[in-house]
Amino acid sequence: MNRRRFLASTGLAGASLVAGCGSFQSQSTRSPPLVENRPDATYRPTHVEGMGMAGMAQAGDYMVGLGYSFPHRFWTVTGTDTERVDIRDADSIHLMATVWDPETEMVLPISAGVAITIERDGETVDEKSPWPMISQSMGFHYGDNYELDGDGLYTVRVRVNAVSDRRLGAFAGRFDDAAETSVEFDFAQSALDELSYEAFSETQGERGAVDLMEMSMRPVSQTPVADELPGTLLGTKKGSDGVYAATWLSEADFLADGESYLAVSVRTPYNRVPLPMMSLDGTVETGGETVFDDALGAALHPDLGYHYGAVVETAESDPSVGVDVVAPSQTSRHEGYETAFLATPSFSF
Amino acid sequence: MTDRGISRREFAKSAVAIGGTAALAACLDRGTPDVPEGTDDIASLPARQHAWNDALATDDAGNPRMARHHVLLLLDYERDGRPTDGDRRQVEDALSTLEQAYEWSNDGLLFTLGYGPTYFDRFEANPAGVDVPEPKALAPFEDPEPDTPDALLHLASDHESVVLAAEEALKGTRKTVNDHEMSTTFEGVLSVADRRTGFVGTGLPAEKQDVDGIPDSEPVPEEAPLFMGFKSGFKGNQATEDRVTVDAGPFAGGATQHLSFIRLHLQQWYEQDSREQRVSKMFCPAHADEGKVEGVGENLGTDSAIEECPEDAVESGRREGVVGHSQKLSRAREDDSPTILRRDFDSTDGGEAGLHFLSLQQSIEDFVATREAMNGTDVAENSAVGQRTNNGILQYMTVERRGNYLLPPRNLRALPPADPA
Repeated sequence: MNRRRFLASTGLAGASLVAGCGSFQSQSTRSPPLVENRPDATYRPTHVEGMGMAGMAQAGDYMVGLGYSFPHRFWTVTGTDTERVDIRDADSIHLMATVWDPETEMVLPISAGVAITIERDGETVDEKSPWPMISQSMGFHYGDNYELDGDGLYTVRVRVNAVSDRRLGAFAGRFDDAAETSVEFDFAQSALDELSYEAFSETQGERGAVDLMEMSMRPVSQTPVADELPGTLLGTKKGSDGVYAATWLSEADFLADGESYLAVSVRTPYNRVPLPMMSLDGTVETGGETVFDDALGAALHPDLGYHYGAVVETAESDPSVGVDVVAPSQTSRHEGYETAFLATPSFSF
Repeated sequence: MTDRGISRREFAKSAVAIGGTAALAACLDRGTPDVPEGTDDIASLPARQHAWNDALATDDAGNPRMARHHVLLLLDYERDGRPTDGDRRQVEDALSTLEQAYEWSNDGLLFTLGYGPTYFDRFEANPAGVDVPEPKALAPFEDPEPDTPDALLHLASDHESVVLAAEEALKGTRKTVNDHEMSTTFEGVLSVADRRTGFVGTGLPAEKQDVDGIPDSEPVPEEAPLFMGFKSGFKGNQATEDRVTVDAGPFAGGATQHLSFIRLHLQQWYEQDSREQRVSKMFCPAHADEGKVEGVGENLGTDSAIEECPEDAVESGRREGVVGHSQKLSRAREDDSPTILRRDFDSTDGGEAGLHFLSLQQSIEDFVATREAMNGTDVAENSAVGQRTNNGILQYMTVERRGNYLLPPRNLRALPPADPA
C-alpha cells in the first residue's frame, strides 16, 4: 500500500477497517459497500464528502471553478445502461469542473464539455476530458478521478468548448467560442484528508437526497422552481424519478408574431439539478389539431435555465402537450443518482 | 549500448521513433533483414505514387495490410522562389535510387512525396486542377496547429531498418541503401523541418504502450493493430485507389493527402468503459448488442458490417443515447463506397500515444465531408448523445495538427510547377 492510500483509509474518525488485510487497500472507507437493494430512484448515498477548491478563473465568456475531493466511484451512462467506474489505486483526487456564466451565475451544461490537463514543472501528469456528471451535493459538473504526483504546485489547464445548444433571449450570441484558462493548484494530501466525510449509516438507501452544497466561490446548478418558470406552467409530472415541468410561452423576445414556445425543464427531485443530454420528443395540439410533432432540443435561456424546447407555430394559449422521453440523460452519476432517471417515460400536460 | 547511448530497453521501444544513424546502426546490429531489391526500370513502377495496394501484403481475410513502420518527414525547400531544373533532377535521382535499392512493396520500401500550399505560394498560383487549401479546424471543439512545410515525405516498410536507412540516405548521412550507392541526396535542396514516426500492425501497439495517454495497466491487447484495440482499414471501409485519384488536369494520376496528428487519451476507454461500450462507440450499439465483434475484430472479414447498424445515425443516436464511429462515417459514402483511403498509423512521438491520421482522397473536400460525418454534430443536436460523450470516439482524442498536400503523379513528384501544362 502506498502512503497516499494508507492515509485515505485510516485518516477518519469512526471509519471501519474491519474488511481484513486482503481488501484493506481496495476497499477504502472512502467507498464503503454500496447500499443493498437500491431503489430505482434518487436515494441517500452511503456518505457524502466535502470539497476543496483548487481554484477558479475566467475563460472568455465563462467562469470555471475547479473543486476536488477524494476519488469517487461513479457511473457512466450509455443508453439506459450504467457502468460503474471504480476507484483505481493510482487515483489521487476526484476533480470537478463547474462552468458558469459570470453575468447570470447560471451553471452551463456544454454538449462538447471541457478538457483538462494537469501539469507539473512543464510535464503532463494527467490529461482527460471529464464526464458530464450529476451529484446530489455538487449538482451538474464535469468530473473524473485524476492522478497526481504527491504534494506540490500543479497547473490545471481547462479548455471549455463552445456551446452548441440553442441559446435564447439574452444568451443569444453568447458562448459561441471555446476558451482556455489555467489554475495554479497547490495540492496537499493533508488538506485532502481534512475534507469532511459524513456517513449516513442510518438513512443510506432511503429515498431522498443530500442537500446541494452551497459555496461562496461558485454558484450551484439548479433549475428554477417550477412556479417561477417564465410563461404559463402547464404542469409538473414525474417519471423514472425525474421531474418534468412544462411551460408555455406566448411572448418572448425570441418569438415572432404567431409563434409560441414550449419548454420542458427536466430536473432531479429534491435538489432541482438539471438533467442534460436527453432525447425528448414533443407534440402540441390546439383546438384538436396537431400543430407540432418533433424533437425538443436542448437550449439555454437566462430564466428558463437549461431545458428542452421548440418554437411552435401557433398563437393559441391552451395547448395539449405530449412529451416522450426517447433516451434518458447520458450524464454520469455520483452515488445516489445511478439508479434514477434511466427509463423513458411519456407524459401529457 | 550504442555510440549514442541508447539503452537496449529504450531502443526496443522506439528505434524508428529515435531515428538517426545510431538507431539505425543498433537496429542493424540486431540483424540485417534480407530486403528485396528494386528496379532500374522506372516505367515498370505504377504511375501513381499512391499505388500501394497491389504492393502490400494482404491479411487472412484479404484486406491490404499496411506496412508496419513509418517515417514522415516534413520538408522545406531550401531555395527561395521557383525550383531549378537542377534541384528537380537531384530530388528525382535521389528517389530513383531508393526505387532501385528497394522493391516497391511492404517488404521493401513504399513512399510518397507531396507538396503543401506553402510550396505552391512561390508560383503565385494554386496547383492546376486540384484544390489544396490551407488546413483549418474541422470541428468546433478542436484547435489544431496548421502544418505548413513545403513538402511531406512518407516512408513505409515492414522493416524498421529500411525506413531509417532511406531517411538517413536522403539526408546524406548514409552512402548506401540495401547495398546500392546513393547517386545523390536531398542535401541542399530539401531540409527536414519536422520528423514524425509510427507503426501499425498486430503486436506493435501492445509492445509500445508504455506512453502517456495509455494507463499503466497495459490494456492494449497483444493482437491489436492499433492502440484503440480494434482493427481498421477493412477493404470495405476504404475508398479504392481509383476513387482517390485525381482524374483530370495536369496532375491526373495524383491524389490529395491530409495528415493530422491526433493525441489519444485512453484511460477512460480502457479502464472505465466496458467492452460493450467500446464496441458501441467504435462500431455501433447494434454490434455491441449482438456480440458482432470478437477480439480486435478479425472475425469481421473485409468490412465492419456497417449495413447491420441502423442507417439513420441521427435517429439511432437519439434512441440509443450513443452513436458509433463507423456508423457515423458510413454516412460519408458515395455510391455506397467511402471516399477516403486511410493510411493512418499509431505513434509514440514525444512519449505520447498518438495517431498520425494520413488519408488520401481525390479532393480535400472528401476528407472534410468525412470528418464532418465523424463529428456527429447533427447527431448531438436534439439528442442525448453529447458532442463528444457517447459520440463515437471523440471523447478520447485531441486533434493537434492538420496539413493538406498534393501528391503529384510519379512523373511530377520532384518539385513540380503549379501548372505543369
